[in-house]
Amino acid sequence: MASLDDPGEVREGFLCPLCLKDLQSFYHLQSHYEEEHSGEDGDVKGQIKSAVRSHLSDFKKHRAARIDHYVVEVNKLIIRLEKLTAFDRTNTESAKIRAIEKSVVPWVNDQDVPFCPDCGNKFSIRNRRHHCRLCGSIMCKKCMELISLPLANKLTSASKDSLSPHTSPSQSPNSVHGSRRASISSVSSVSSVLDEKDDDRIRCCTHCKDTLLKREQQIDEKEHTPDIVKLYEKLRLCMEKVDQKAPEYIRMAASLNAGETTYSLEHASDLRVEVQKVYELIDALSKKILTLDLKQDPPPHPNTLRLQRMIRYSATLFVQEKLLGLMSLPTKEQFEELKEKRKQEVERKKILERRATLESQQRLEERRSDLVSHATNGEVVSLRGGPAPLRKAEGWLPLSGGQGQIEDSDPLLQQIHNITSFIRQAKAAGRMDEVRTLQENLRQLQDEYDQQQTEKAIELSRRQAEEEDLQREQLQMLREREREREREQFQAASLHMRTRSLDFREIRPFQLEPGREPRNHLAHALDLGCSPAPSSAAPKTPSPSLALEPIRVWSGPPALGQEFFPQSTTSQHNEVPSLNPFDEEDLSSPAAEGTASPPAAEPSLGPPACVLKEYNPFEEEEEEEAVAGNPFTSPDSPAPSPFDEEDGHPHQRPSGPPVPGNPFEEAPCTNPFEVDSESGQEGEEPIEEELLLQQIDNIKAYIFDAKQCGRLDEVEVLTENLRELKHTLAKQKGGAD
Amino acid sequence: MNVVFAVKQYISKMIEDSGPGMKVLLMDKETTGIVSMVYTQSEILQKEVYLFERIDSQNREIMKHLKAICFLRPTKENVNYLIQELRRPKYSIYFIYFSNVISKSDVKSLAEADEQEVVAEVQEFYGDYIAVNPHLFSLNILGCCQGRNWDPVQLSRATQGLTALLLSLKKCPMIRYQLSSEAAKRLAECVKQVITKEYELFEFRRTEVPPLLLILDRCDDAITPLLNQWTYQAMVHELLGINNNRIDLSRVPGISKDLREVVLSAENDEFYANNMYLNFAEIGSNIKNLMEDFQKKKPKEQQKLESIADMKAFVENYPQFKKMSGTVSKHVTVVGELSRLVSERNLLEVSEVEQELACQNDHSSALQNVKRLLQSPKVTEFDAARLVMLYALHYERHSSNSLPGLMMDLRNKGVSEKYRKLVSTVVEYGGKRVRGSDLFSPKDAVAITKQFLKGLKGVENVYTQHQPFLHETLDHLIKGKLKENLYPYLGPSTLRDRPQDIIVFIIGGATYEEALTVYNLNRTTPGVRIVLGGTTVHNTKRSLEESLITFLPTYKLSLSKYWFHFVFIIPK
Repeated sequence: MASLDDPGEVREGFLCPLCLKDLQSFYHLQSHYEEEHSGEDGDVKGQIKSAVRSHLSDFKKHRAARIDHYVVEVNKLIIRLEKLTAFDRTNTESAKIRAIEKSVVPWVNDQDVPFCPDCGNKFSIRNRRHHCRLCGSIMCKKCMELISLPLANKLTSASKDSLSPHTSPSQSPNSVHGSRRASISSVSSVSSVLDEKDDDRIRCCTHCKDTLLKREQQIDEKEHTPDIVKLYEKLRLCMEKVDQKAPEYIRMAASLNAGETTYSLEHASDLRVEVQKVYELIDALSKKILTLDLKQDPPPHPNTLRLQRMIRYSATLFVQEKLLGLMSLPTKEQFEELKEKRKQEVERKKILERRATLESQQRLEERRSDLVSHATNGEVVSLRGGPAPLRKAEGWLPLSGGQGQIEDSDPLLQQIHNITSFIRQAKAAGRMDEVRTLQENLRQLQDEYDQQQTEKAIELSRRQAEEEDLQREQLQMLREREREREREQFQAASLHMRTRSLDFREIRPFQLEPGREPRNHLAHALDLGCSPAPSSAAPKTPSPSLALEPIRVWSGPPALGQEFFPQSTTSQHNEVPSLNPFDEEDLSSPAAEGTASPPAAEPSLGPPACVLKEYNPFEEEEEEEAVAGNPFTSPDSPAPSPFDEEDGHPHQRPSGPPVPGNPFEEAPCTNPFEVDSESGQEGEEPIEEELLLQQIDNIKAYIFDAKQCGRLDEVEVLTENLRELKHTLAKQKGGAD
Repeated sequence: MNVVFAVKQYISKMIEDSGPGMKVLLMDKETTGIVSMVYTQSEILQKEVYLFERIDSQNREIMKHLKAICFLRPTKENVNYLIQELRRPKYSIYFIYFSNVISKSDVKSLAEADEQEVVAEVQEFYGDYIAVNPHLFSLNILGCCQGRNWDPVQLSRATQGLTALLLSLKKCPMIRYQLSSEAAKRLAECVKQVITKEYELFEFRRTEVPPLLLILDRCDDAITPLLNQWTYQAMVHELLGINNNRIDLSRVPGISKDLREVVLSAENDEFYANNMYLNFAEIGSNIKNLMEDFQKKKPKEQQKLESIADMKAFVENYPQFKKMSGTVSKHVTVVGELSRLVSERNLLEVSEVEQELACQNDHSSALQNVKRLLQSPKVTEFDAARLVMLYALHYERHSSNSLPGLMMDLRNKGVSEKYRKLVSTVVEYGGKRVRGSDLFSPKDAVAITKQFLKGLKGVENVYTQHQPFLHETLDHLIKGKLKENLYPYLGPSTLRDRPQDIIVFIIGGATYEEALTVYNLNRTTPGVRIVLGGTTVHNTKRSLEESLITFLPTYKLSLSKYWFHFVFIIPK
């Protein structure tokens, strides 16, 4: 840091020597260093914190002295061996052979050795002296060893081999022999092995033979790789592969399961298959290692078996740990669903946000499109029950997606789009780490955006709730007023129409507080004014006439209800028809109530109930609202109830269409709340089937595992689960068929 | 100053250095214990170490496809075994690590044996002690002294252990020792000798305040290891016995096969790590929580997995669940056994009287309580003898000492002679004559006031009133008030500042209660880091054995057999 300029600061600063962080006190620094750097210290410097001392150089020095001696010995023997086998032994006279043999190494004088140096027996005529052809020493026949020509050949040719290019200078210290001995081969020449004769084997002493046998063993070991090593190497390769691929896959799967589209599903499932194949391979390889040589006749050494078991065990541990961490991928449909859900979520948030700004506008348009929407409404209802919930969701999503783009002025959204395209580019270029960082960015951005939206949505819903409360209050007030009025109506039935319209004027001031309210009522007014909107003309025109009819016909209460039903389905939100019941009621009630007030209340109960029923299919979330309205409406005179509903309606439908007049949009747009949850539930059935199958597979694997480990109670529980799962699956299938 | 980390680091480094490929770990008896304290099998398997062999095992097969990592103590036998091994190597390549200083001549004879050039590394890695907790180590030496003097073999082992600890922590300390103990002085001198001899090794970067090594003797506080403990780790050790993190549960009635021996290691067991220093009551509630948590996750047969979501959650949690079920069953068994023993042996009552004997000075009430408990049929031979020992230690010189009467009571209770003999042995081991400091009566005014207040207020927990004497010693040491006439420095130089890094070593063994004290001191005193060690880690049985071996060397063999019985057969 500033240490160069001002060394005094170093003391005061308590700087961490590794990360240069300024800790406030010595203690903090100490604990910081212990916590943060105690682990990495070893890694960074390849050293450890504790003291160590190496004796390797000492060791090597002593060994080198020893080895040099040893190597020289061995080399000498091999050179001699080579000379002894270099000529055609079979076709050479014994005397000549002996001469050659003597030329290779000077023989020890017979007189010098009265006893066999190995066994100590005295040499005599019976116990003759024999000379080692390799070192010239003397021993008795018993102590004499023989080297066959093939062995001699093997030893000499191996020394030659060590010069050939394919023997790489391996790290193992064994190779040192090779390089040191390389010089011999230049002396040697190719020798051919010929047929047997008395002298086809070379006599030597036990010491020379020992040295040569050791040498032979080394040669053998160098060339021979046991099967277990080959398998093990493969196993390790597979494990490395998993270590490489699994994290990548997990990242993908997590992202996909969250409904993100940053990775492609196919790619991920390919990777999953790949990883799973590697797991299978690991399993197979380790099993093979486990059973290696198991059936051989002298059974392998217990340690070999232990090694095999341990390798298998560690492979099992590895697979268990890693494989179980491998989360499942969504199926295609599931993924679509997830994508939709995510989109919906995003959209919902967007909508909520937009609604905040557009609500007033919506209200305005709503009135007009209401009429249009009635026609489509029925369709939507039938669709909802239909078998293709996805289609329904798709029906409106692209549209709103389009809207989203129009309104993408949000810098966050722009950023998200940018990054998505970057990711695409990076992916094309195959820079996976870049993709990763970008995806991380993207996720953060999205989170941030989501959060923003959620906050907005929360704010909005709060406001809505307030409004609704307000409306309810107003409605209540309205009802009370209505009641009062009705009392008046007893006295002046003929004046009703006028009081009715007065009513409206009286209500409006109440609803004026929130900024949107006035416009809303403007909408009402507009509706009244320009009710024959182009598309709604057809359903609308008959309704007034229908409504008017009962007045003239003066039908009884049941008929009245029946007639209301179709009427209000076609034009619920229309004020004109909804005024009709009033007219009717007002006409009827004075007559009925004029005679007897209690029975008059009874028929009036019909219409509101009907109205309520109609609402249900159209907007299910309003059920609550309607139910809440019920206690007020039913005991009251019928007049206010239809009004209530109607009045409440515009407020209750804040989720109304952003783009007015579009019949397709209108209807679903009111729905997102329940449509979403509902479609989720309905959609679950076909998708969960995939999941079920997966789970069944998983559980089967667990059972297998538990069985192997002998945890029987677990097996039981798992089997129970499996049975249940299968049952569920069967049921579902039955249901689907 | 984390001994577990230090040893683990050594082992990891060995394995890393040997590179990829199948490996075998060649150890001797002691290093096996050292390694097993810091590594679990599955952990070490992941590092491709598949076989664990003893260097002295004759039945090893030639496996040239394996690399051998040798972690051995530098003893003469081990060097000889290794020489034989290198003459006829069974593995392809050898990485040799000695746990302590090895002589040049040994290195030379090893080098000369390596004719096939199979050795790739020869190093000293100073992991020559058993790391029990991060701040607690043991040397697993039982019976380190004979009479008042060191067994020479054990002295050299203790010196090696301590110097290895210093090296692994990279500390070159000043040394203080307990004056009243000859053994402490001897050990201090030996350690100093090694430091001087291997001065190159001990050249570490100087810290402002040099670290301090304090060598104490168990006989100064024979009380602490005699008390029943109520914190988890200490209790398990006292009642069940911990040996290199392993607990033998085979004597527990109705124990299932796979729980015969369990491993309690804070390194791998979160529940244990979090609870080892909590008291029994807290453990009880924590284990209840653990169970409940587990029950929630456990799929019961009755609790059908109703929805796919349940199922999915189950499958996803399954591996975790399996791991958890292991932990739960282990701890439930251990705690269950503890509480069974507590009620069977009436340990709460016993412990209360023990604490009274250890912490208060009311002779008549103590005597009365001891007498009362000696009449109780529930109190075992062992606990009865223990109470009398505590009484004997505390009221050794009391004017109205009625030890003979209590001994009679013991006899009447049918306590065997061996137990009764222990009482006098313990007094001989840790009686007043031996103690350098006063264990029972408070020395200064502050302490007297404290005890007075304590008496007035009453204590929160009667079972844990006792503070080991070590607490006071360390407290004084940290404050720079430890008296130099009782705990002199070795050599001329003294520490002017308050010590920061402190290594305490107790000849004759440390206890888990003291480990807890050190743990708490470490937590509450900023800037001070203490590591505690002992020739062993005691529970009452082990400490009695220690005092027996110390004074009755001829009994050693027969006694160890007898103690073995003692540990495992608890009379009903």
